[in-house]
Amino acid sequence: MNDLIIGMAGSGGDGIISAGESLIGAVAAEGYYGMLTKSYGPQIRGGESSCRLRVSTLPVLNPGGSLDVAVILDWDDFLRFGSELPVTEDTVIIFDLKSGVDRTSLPLNALWPKVLCGVPLEDMAIETAGVQQAKNSVILGLLAGWLGLSPDNLLVGLRKKFARKGDEVLAGNERAFAAGLGHARVNPLGRNLRLDRPATPLKQRIIADGNELCAKGAIAAGCTFFGGYPITPATEIMQHLQTDIWEHGGVVLQAEDEIAGVGAALGASFAGKKAMTATSGPGLSLKTEMLGLASVTELPLVCVDVQRGGPSTGMPTKCEQADLFAAVFSAHGDTVRPVLAPTTVADTYGLTVEAFNLAEQYQTPVILLSDQDIAQRKEIIDPVDPSRLSLVNRLEPTAAELQDYTRFRLTSSGISPLSHPGMKGGNYLAAGIEHDEHGAPTANGEIHGEMNHKRLVKFLPLRGRHDLFVMEGNPDSPLGIIAWGSVAGIAQEALRIVRAEGLDARLMIPKLLYPIAEEVFADFFAPLTRCIVFEQSHQGQLYRLIRMWVNVPPQFESYARSGANPLSPEDFVSQIRKLSRAGLRKEHADRADFLNPL
Amino acid sequence: MISTDATCAGTAATPKDFKSPLKPIWCPGCGDYGVLNALYRALAAIGRPPHEIAFVSGIGCSSRIPGYTTAYGFNTVHGRALPIAQGIKLANPELLVLVAGGDGDGFSIGGGHVPHAIRRNADLTYIVMDNQVYGLTKGQVSPTSPRGTRARSSVYGSMESPVNPLLYTLAYGAGFVAQGIPGDMDGLAAIIEEGIRYPGFAFINVQSPCVSFGEPDNQVKVQRTRMRKLAAEGHDPSNRLRAIELAQDYGQELYTGVFYRNPNPPPTHGSQIKALQDERKALKAGVTPTLSASDTHPTCC
Repeated sequence: MNDLIIGMAGSGGDGIISAGESLIGAVAAEGYYGMLTKSYGPQIRGGESSCRLRVSTLPVLNPGGSLDVAVILDWDDFLRFGSELPVTEDTVIIFDLKSGVDRTSLPLNALWPKVLCGVPLEDMAIETAGVQQAKNSVILGLLAGWLGLSPDNLLVGLRKKFARKGDEVLAGNERAFAAGLGHARVNPLGRNLRLDRPATPLKQRIIADGNELCAKGAIAAGCTFFGGYPITPATEIMQHLQTDIWEHGGVVLQAEDEIAGVGAALGASFAGKKAMTATSGPGLSLKTEMLGLASVTELPLVCVDVQRGGPSTGMPTKCEQADLFAAVFSAHGDTVRPVLAPTTVADTYGLTVEAFNLAEQYQTPVILLSDQDIAQRKEIIDPVDPSRLSLVNRLEPTAAELQDYTRFRLTSSGISPLSHPGMKGGNYLAAGIEHDEHGAPTANGEIHGEMNHKRLVKFLPLRGRHDLFVMEGNPDSPLGIIAWGSVAGIAQEALRIVRAEGLDARLMIPKLLYPIAEEVFADFFAPLTRCIVFEQSHQGQLYRLIRMWVNVPPQFESYARSGANPLSPEDFVSQIRKLSRAGLRKEHADRADFLNPL
Repeated sequence: MISTDATCAGTAATPKDFKSPLKPIWCPGCGDYGVLNALYRALAAIGRPPHEIAFVSGIGCSSRIPGYTTAYGFNTVHGRALPIAQGIKLANPELLVLVAGGDGDGFSIGGGHVPHAIRRNADLTYIVMDNQVYGLTKGQVSPTSPRGTRARSSVYGSMESPVNPLLYTLAYGAGFVAQGIPGDMDGLAAIIEEGIRYPGFAFINVQSPCVSFGEPDNQVKVQRTRMRKLAAEGHDPSNRLRAIELAQDYGQELYTGVFYRNPNPPPTHGSQIKALQDERKALKAGVTPTLSASDTHPTCC
């Protein structure tokens, strides 16, 4: 087989997450691609935890649907994750015999897996290492045996992990690992789980998550100032920047609150530096006024919003795509700001650079709308090459322009040269209050109209940014699919499945969500009679945003589910099949009736 | 803004160099005119050219002040001047960064930022024009209004005790705390100049009367008769405990001058960041860093 999905669940302290991390390290070393997603209960310590690892010989597009293998240390913990760890009768179930569950008492709602494998995990751990905490090392041994992974690659990770805990702990875990490996060798599973060798030649790959690559992208873009405040699931961006921004002469300021974080970043931008802030939904709400100030003073600024379940505190550790409206509309006055959404971990790097480029080019705040899934999942990816990036810097006034500097000069492009303190002759007043070309405060309606026009007309070139859209499938097909953010990878796989079945379709993945690129959408919609938008929000926010701006195909459908409800390629495939059939019923996963009376 | 950035090294600066062509919107008799003039004089004495000065404010009558100078001005949103100013200073430590606003801006909507600017020892000079009223919105109680103030939003008298800006900033550990009045132009200009020269966070409270909505017995001329100069009272500005004692009288006695100046200024936020940047750069270049623990604060004036 060339694609395998493993899910594991246990109590905090069982080392489930750490087993997942060892495993992804080992498969990366063997040349596979992979994706590791983690899920926790709300507890800071203890509680239940789980992870899913998808391993493939080809790049992994999404965490996948049903599990091929489920490793269950504790059935209650496992069942708490519900649809996050879905099993079918084809799932190989590996569980701790200690749980007391046997073939006759499976708590799986009358589902009867074909392969069920009880292992005395806890007993083996105690026997070999003296402590039950070594269960995860037993599991790694079992999986190495059954999946056909090199024990050496797993032992490398094990040794790294236990290096600081002393020789005795390491030796115990090595014995536990060996016991698992031995058990797998003498007890073959009823199903072959051995992975094919990787199709591509072994290359040096990296394991990273979206937040890490956002930080690295920012550095590559030339960001030298970050102001922010800890918030799940965006905090790691600040933490990653913290390690290497200083050597670039940069600054990370953990501010007293979200507003101060974005404020300091805006101040740094005023002072001539590339600056960023990062947050999640509640923080975006707090930063909104400052983003409006950035718009009216025409200062570059990148604001990352790693979306989580909302509104309000919502579900901080779960993924949702429901901040789109907030990102697009949460500013008073006639403001427009570009909103970008990365689709994968690797994409986060390049799109962060793009966010800085747009901010500098158009002297505007830009929102990078990441999500919890992309931000915190680990992927095995090919290394990114920063030398291929092209960087944009803000337009500065020439020496001649500084002789009679006019900060907000009305130009045909809407973009006027931007000076910064320290630049002689460039002195001006940046003000949230409406101002004339020179920056002098005004309450004149005519000037206000001209300035609004200036601040909006500069975004017109974005209407044709085809390069910020990924298109896949047959351009002449009458059937269209749209998906964005972390959901895009699920739609991509669904498209490949239906096309393999002979069903023709065309997929569009917008990375520029706002302003709506009217030309690109018009081109995409032209041959379509039917189109469906897949997204993870209750209202179907992109679906509604598109309808606000462009003419849509005769049959334009939304398939939207609230966050924390996993979406799977199988799910999308069935929706696409339905749409392809005539007389499609209006079906909405969990739509409120007042929005869509059935 | 068309500026007249005339000053440069070797040419003596004059107050006029810092005066912009914009005409203030303030009411005739407003205390803020005096603050502006004192500031022109202080900046001329400091001698930094306007393009090396960033002047940040929030929202309110007094927050219009950056536009009346030839410096780079940033008239931001209500209450957020301090974080923005810190971003500017950290991004370019060579700049002279001034912050100004009213008592509502600094101690009500923006009150949460003051302690943090102080505990970081951000190298800023923060001038609050404290008029004990919201003037721009035409007369509501402010965080420094005396208890019982009858204003448009408290027609039966306010129920809150006022914030004491002097005690507040001293308690949080500000290294420079002073108070002035626009009626004492020489004194105010001297305090502002001294605040700018202080290497670290300097707080200057100016009792700047509101001619339209303020108390009639607290206007510029009356203030001059009530003022008690701390220097004349024999106050030693290095005595923090005595400064705290004197600051208790905010609202009763009108002390002017320097309440407290830390004789041993601790490292500024910027100097610590500069040290960290140098250390990391040296490590990256494979050079053993030679760090001095002392404050590397550049003498800006």
